[in-house]
Formats: sequence, structure tokens, C-alpha cells
Amino acid sequence: MSASDAFRARVAKAVADRRVVQAVHLATWRKVSARQAGFALLRNAEELRDLASQIKQHTLENLPQYLEQFVTQVRRVGGQIHWAKDAAAARAIICDLARGYASHLAVKVKSMTTEEVDLNHALEAIGVRVVETDLGEFIVQIDHDRPSHIVTPIIHKDRRQIAAAMAREIGCEYTEDPTELTKLARRYLRDIFRRCDLGISGVNFGVAETGTICLCTNEGNGRMSTTRPRVHIALMGIEKVIPRMRDLAVFLKLLSRSSTGQPMGSYTTLITGPKRPADPDGPERLHVVLLDNGRADILRGPFAEVLKCIRCGACLNACPVYRNIGGHAYNSVYPGPIGSLVTPLLNADRRHDDLPRASSLCGACYVACPVKINIPDLLVKLRAATRARQPWGKRAALRAWCWAMCSASTYRQGQRLMRTFLPDDGEGWTTRGVGPLGEWTATRDLPRPPSKSFRQLWEEGLADER
Amino acid sequence: MNVALFVTCLTDTFFPRVGTAVVHVLRHFGCHVEFPTEQTCCGQPAYNSGFHAEAAVLARRMIEVFEPYETVVSPSASCATMVRHHFPTLLAADPRWHLAAQRLAGRTFEFATFLRDRLAVDLGACLWFDEPVTFHYPCHARDIYGVDGLQSWLAQVPHIDLRVPEHADLCCGFGGVFAVEHAPISTAMVHDKLEGLAATGARLVLCNEGGCTMQIAGAARRRGLPLRFKHIAECLAESLGLLEPEP
Amino acid sequence: MNADAPRADVAQAINVDPAVREALRGLRRQTESVPRRTALPDLAERVRQVGADEDLVRRFEQAATAAGAHVHLVSQTDQNPGRQAGARLPAGGIGPRADAKRCAWIAKVRELLQARGAKTALLATARPDSALNSERRQELVMFLAADGIAEQSTPDDETLFSVDAAITDVSAAIAETGTIVCVSGPGLARGASLIPPVHIAVVAAQQILPDLYDYLEQIGADADLPASHMLISGPSKTADIEGVLVTGMHGPGELHVIVLM
Repeated sequence: MSASDAFRARVAKAVADRRVVQAVHLATWRKVSARQAGFALLRNAEELRDLASQIKQHTLENLPQYLEQFVTQVRRVGGQIHWAKDAAAARAIICDLARGYASHLAVKVKSMTTEEVDLNHALEAIGVRVVETDLGEFIVQIDHDRPSHIVTPIIHKDRRQIAAAMAREIGCEYTEDPTELTKLARRYLRDIFRRCDLGISGVNFGVAETGTICLCTNEGNGRMSTTRPRVHIALMGIEKVIPRMRDLAVFLKLLSRSSTGQPMGSYTTLITGPKRPADPDGPERLHVVLLDNGRADILRGPFAEVLKCIRCGACLNACPVYRNIGGHAYNSVYPGPIGSLVTPLLNADRRHDDLPRASSLCGACYVACPVKINIPDLLVKLRAATRARQPWGKRAALRAWCWAMCSASTYRQGQRLMRTFLPDDGEGWTTRGVGPLGEWTATRDLPRPPSKSFRQLWEEGLADER
Repeated sequence: MNVALFVTCLTDTFFPRVGTAVVHVLRHFGCHVEFPTEQTCCGQPAYNSGFHAEAAVLARRMIEVFEPYETVVSPSASCATMVRHHFPTLLAADPRWHLAAQRLAGRTFEFATFLRDRLAVDLGACLWFDEPVTFHYPCHARDIYGVDGLQSWLAQVPHIDLRVPEHADLCCGFGGVFAVEHAPISTAMVHDKLEGLAATGARLVLCNEGGCTMQIAGAARRRGLPLRFKHIAECLAESLGLLEPEP
Repeated sequence: MNADAPRADVAQAINVDPAVREALRGLRRQTESVPRRTALPDLAERVRQVGADEDLVRRFEQAATAAGAHVHLVSQTDQNPGRQAGARLPAGGIGPRADAKRCAWIAKVRELLQARGAKTALLATARPDSALNSERRQELVMFLAADGIAEQSTPDDETLFSVDAAITDVSAAIAETGTIVCVSGPGLARGASLIPPVHIAVVAAQQILPDLYDYLEQIGADADLPASHMLISGPSKTADIEGVLVTGMHGPGELHVIVLM
């Protein structure tokens, strides 16, 4: 089955699953309202978006210098720095560290970057048990599922499925009550937190000025996972660096608001190096692993803007395509509008050619994006860049159509052909067809062209002013 | 004022009444309307699909066709946006064409905003509806007028029973080639749109975009929903007595 | 062009792994052609949402409450905590020093702990000048003992995971977002404001900064940052299960902020 057929099969399956479609509708609409309400409380939301966009743009244009500053500062405060040029390197570095520290039990804070490099399997393979601590990711893990949203991973699951997974995998009593389920997960994970010896996180923002890494969560698992174990490893995409501590204010004012509508998440933690000697708790060792994995290539090209992304998920919530097909149809760590760009850009293997084309370019994502990534424009650019790989039928049809548009007479000829050959159901509509027309008429009627086009009406009298 | 009508290929072929209405309304407000008969298409479908060489050919052709005209007006915000925003980028490589594209961009307007901004027409005062009205906001109008703008024009219509749909700016799923290339997704999207429109109880839908009308009207008819669609030009022409109302 | 862009090759000055230095040099070469047209913008007034001229306590109360915290505004001088109805006095009496001091916040702490049936409490103080300084601390401990609440002060694992509540002061608070800030430091366990199910934070009104920007601007200038700044805005929460909001996922399910006016 071709990648394209596989995508279409996933889409068909997704839109047919009414329960998931409804769940995703409910969750995304709720978040859209929450985001609007949260933004309404800012006195100058558009200005903040402009500032966030500019800071990110400036940083990307000067990335090596800011990374150098960041690296120096992290070292100055006692952290270690590593560079992973790709996913395999990231896995190798982190596994080596885990082996070196004789780690047995690792706790993980939700991190898209660690999923991008497929870290968990590599650690499990060397005998390190890895436990996800974000409630949604924990449930994904114990249910052998995949996340479907970059911020709220289980919007596709209902409480019955969650209750069954919990009872089955951790042996707790069966309950469908969210409060009870949360308590059970808390108790189970507390035990893990008491015994863990390695904490692995991503990085929301890395502040170059001070060598600080910022982690944002609502649950507190970010703090637990970077306080309890004696070693903390943070995997950081190189685009996550920002220049100064005060720049962080702009992003923090936009991040939670964009994700969930909250002015601030419950826990924003600024980690500057490992614990100091007199601190009663905290990790003795901090390792920051910088990840390239294709980002430097993107930075040099016409799609560099995608690296401004702060992973808020607002574009997913706003997107009518995502709302209807859900996260799994994208078959990627990064679904949704930003995923439709980042996935093919990070994976040059053509498996994801359909993603940038599966969009009506409505722009809801651009309106929602706190750093103003012009996603529709970039989608068009990516379609142009991969034009040679578009389906031959589509290419042929578009070129034929463009040729016909090149003269008024072939254009009129085309109009006449349509009037002649579009089947008429007797009431001026086309309800059946083959090929592309059949794709339309499978689910929609098509209005037939009236017997006279506008230009015919013009020539036959409309041109005369009265 | 001399105005050249850029009617758009979809409107010309499928919704000629909209073109007629535009002509009548512009004349009513004192414009001399011309129709460059060589016009065909702005190339938006090719542009959106990434066929930029082909789109550039059509862009250059359109620039030449409209060269003699000082003001160009179109009933489609998406086609007007194609000219205003994308022609200059598409032809950026050649300074001569880039300049010509910018000049055309600067004198091309969408119909309703042209009336409001250039002819100082009070749109609300010129409209009349004798039944409840709802509306679809076309996403590709976002660079020309916002959903709040559209809603405010309607809200000012005397005695209007305006039914604002939930999520008025939700995309209908047309997206040009997308409607056919990814028909299942496009269909799911238009069903969301229909739910919002049907829930208002109104049967008349104001829809200013040909592609959107094809999509929503086509899906509505297939589902047996009794919705009718009109472009603001048609509503204006009917309200001003310039066009016989269509049932 | 960019006055704010950092100096090149700073990495040479400090002991950075050669592989990392090489990678950074490589990145420089790779991105030489990237045009630099965007300046780092000036922030200050463009970012602040709350000004110093506003009623910071009220703003803080609104924001913290909206985030799910319980805010208790308490006057610095007020009733004698010993005269609370139902309070038991220690066998030897309170003593003249305690009598002379009127301490409403201690009363509030006792009230909160008693309402929750707490039997143990962890005290974690940061600043010598805070409300929980050693003098007040003795008093609080004494009253708690009178209430049958055992005070723990060693933040080891046993304590952290078993204690009913933690009482801490804060290093700062932020009106805009209803945030309290705890930092790590000598004797200040990060776990104190994270692990016990109830967190009671004592904030002096003067500690409340107007805006998040003010706080970050302040610490950005600090050459010697603590290992952890914990910006806490409400109790621990999750809505992962069908979007239903539940508090107390990993961190405290209850956050009480006592603001001393």
C-alpha cells in the first residue's frame, strides 16, 4: 500500500469512528473558547504575539551565538552539555549516560522531542524501566497506545477505556470517576517517584543569558521528575533557546493561554544547574542534550519559520481538519497544522507527502499561533517544493486546466464542455460522476452551470448601460 | 468612476447572477462598468496547489488583460486576495513583473469593501431582508475583511432577524482542489458547517464566495436541508430594486 | 545592528566538551547564509499587564483564586490567637511574650490545619526577614503543639511523603498571574511545596510584584541564581481524563496563600 493510500485509509477510519470524532470536537472547541477567553484578558494580545514572533525570529537568525552563550552558562552553573546531531545520537548519548549512572528506573516528563527520537524503546532495551509521569502519557503508555495531541495526549480516549487500562495494567480497582482515577494514578506514580534514579525531560525554553531551562506543567510531574532522581537529563531541540530571562515573560504570557486559556500553568520551573551543595534535594547531575536532527537544515532554508514553534497546541485546537481526523491519522509525533509542516521537513523520506496537501488553507492555525507562524503560506510553499511528487493525475489536470485558462476562447470552450457533459439530474444539479467529479458527487450535489455564463449575459445586453 | 469587473471563473460559469448583480449595483452608485472580455482565471487553484510556474503564467496574463483599467473590482475576496497578496510574491523574481503586479494589487478591490471604502456606501442601510438571515464567513477573506466586519454590516440592516451561527468563521472545507483531492475530510468539514447554519433556523445564507457556495449548497441539498444561498451583491441588487428577487 | 547579539566564541572561555564546540562551529558555518534582519525588540512597557500603581493585593487575590488557590488576606496585627474559641492552651500557659504579640496569620494557619484534621506539618522557611522567621516560628510551633499537630522540620523523604501539610514562606509573589515563588537553597527543600497534599504559603503584601515581567527582569540580572525557581500558580491540576478538571495530580491538591497586609 502506498503511503498515500495508507493516509487515506487512516483518514477513512478516523472519520468513521464517531466516538473519537465527537470527543475531539468537544475537546478542541472547549480549548478554542478557553483560548479566546484567556486572550481577551490581555490588554495587548496582538502586540505580545508580534513580540514573541520577533524574539523567535531574531534568535533563529543568530542561533549559533545564542547557543554558545547558553552552553557556556550551563557549564558555568555546573551542568553538562552534549550535542546530538540526530535521533540515533540522542538515543546513544542518553543510553550511555544511563548506563554510566547504572540507572534502573527513569521517570519522564512529557516531551515531544523524546518521542521524536524514540527514546523510551532505546532505554528499555538496555534495561532501564521508563515510566511516563504526565497523566495522559502514563495512560498512553500503560494502554500501549499513541498520543493524539501534543498537549493533551488522550483526547481520543474516554473514561471507560482509561478505567479498563488502569485496572488491567496497575491492578487497581475499576472506577470510571476521573477524580478517583487521578488519585489511583497519583498513588502509583508516587511510589515510582520515591524509587526513581533518573529523570528525563524536554525543555520548554532554554535561556541563553543564564543557562536556565524552563519546564511548564500543570500536574507537577515536571518538578517531581527533576527533583527526586539524582540525575536529570534534559533533551532540548536547538530551536528552544531564547536570549534573555525577560524574554521568557513574553512566552510565558502566551504559552498557557494558547494551550488551555490559563494565564499561567500551575508550575513553571526555572532550573539553573544541578543542586547546590547545601540544597537538601534536587539532582546532583544535570545533563542538557542539544538536538539537531534536521533543525539546522530547516534553519537554512525557506521553512525556517516553523522553528519558532513553542509547542502550545493552539493550531491543533483551531484546525477543522484535525478536529475531524484526530491526531492518529497524521501518523506522526507532531500532528495538526504544525505537524503537517514539521513532519515532512524532519523526515525527508516522502512518507508524509499527503500531510501538507490535506488542508483547505483556512488559516485558523495562523490566527491562533502565538508566534505568528504563517502556516498556510508555508503549506503552499511546501506543496510547491514537492510538486514533482504530487499525484500525476492531479498534475496533468492542473496543467491542462491552466493551459485552457491561457486564452479566452479555450476558456469558453471549457465552459461549453462543462455545460454539455456535467450530468443533469433534471433540476439543474449534478448528482453523479466519475473520477474527480465522482469524489465530489459521492457526498455532495454540484450546481450545474446555468445555460448562459456571465460573459454571455454581458455580450447579450448587460453591457449596455441604461 | 470607471470600474473593470473581474468576475472570476467560478462566478462567470456557475453564478452569473452574482456578476449581473455586481454590475447593477456598481452602476447604481455611479460607476461606469467595463468587462475585459479576455479575462479568464487568476490562477488561485494552481497557486494553492504549488504549481507556481503555471500560476505565474496566468498572473502575467491577468496583469496584461487588466493593464488599461484604473480600478478593478471582484465579487470574490479570495480572488481579490490572490491578486493583492500573491501576485507580487509569485512574480518577485522579475523586477518588471513584480512592479506591474504591485500596481495591479494596489488597484484591485473586493466588491463589498469597495462600496464601503471607495464609494462611501452604507451597506447596512441599503439591505433589506424579509426573512431570518444567517451567514458564512469565507476564510480566504481574512486579508480583506474580518468576520466581525461582515457581522457588523448585517447587524446594521434595519429590522433584520440576524441569526449568527456558532463558529461563523469555520471553514466550509472547499479549499479548491482539496475538496476533491481529500473529499472525505472536505465532507466532514462541510457537515460541521451545515450543523452550525441549520441550528440557526434561518434558511437564507449570505455567502460571498463561489467555491464556498458550491460546497455548502451542494452538501445541503444532498442532505435535504432547505438552505438558500445569496451573495451580498445579489442581496443589495434585490434590496435596491435592481434585480428581481429570486425565490 | 543587533546590540544584543552575544559575542562570538564565548564557548572557548569555559570548559565545554570539544565535540560540542565542534558542533557549534559547524552550525555557524551551516547558517552563515541566514540573513539577519530582525532586531531583538525592546520589551518593558510593552509586556507588562499590571502596573505598580494598581491594587496589587486585590489583583493577586483575583488571579490566584482564578488559578484555584485559596487566598486569605490577614492583617499583620489583630486578635490574640490564644483567644480563639475552642483553642487549648499548653499546660504551662502561653507566656507573656506571646500574649503581647498579636498574630492573625498564625491563627489562620491553625484554622486551616485544624479544618483538615492535619496531625503533622512541615515548616520550611527561606528568608530571615520573612513572617516565618525564627521568633514567629517558635510561636507557631508552640501553638501547633497545643493543637496536637507535630511539627517536622527535616525535609527528608519520610517526612515529605507522610506529612499532612507544608507551611512555607515565599521568595516573591506576582499579582498579574497570582503566582508565588519558592526557591531552592540551604535548608529549603524543593519537595516542601510539591509533595505534601496541602501547601500553606505565607506572603507579605510587600513581596507582591506587579507583573511576571518584573520578576523575570529582576532574576535575569542575578549572577548567582539558585538551582530552582518554582513559580506556583494554584494547586496541581489535570484535565487529561475527558477534560474533567481534577486537582492534586502530583503536587498539592490544595494551595492556601496567606497574605499579610
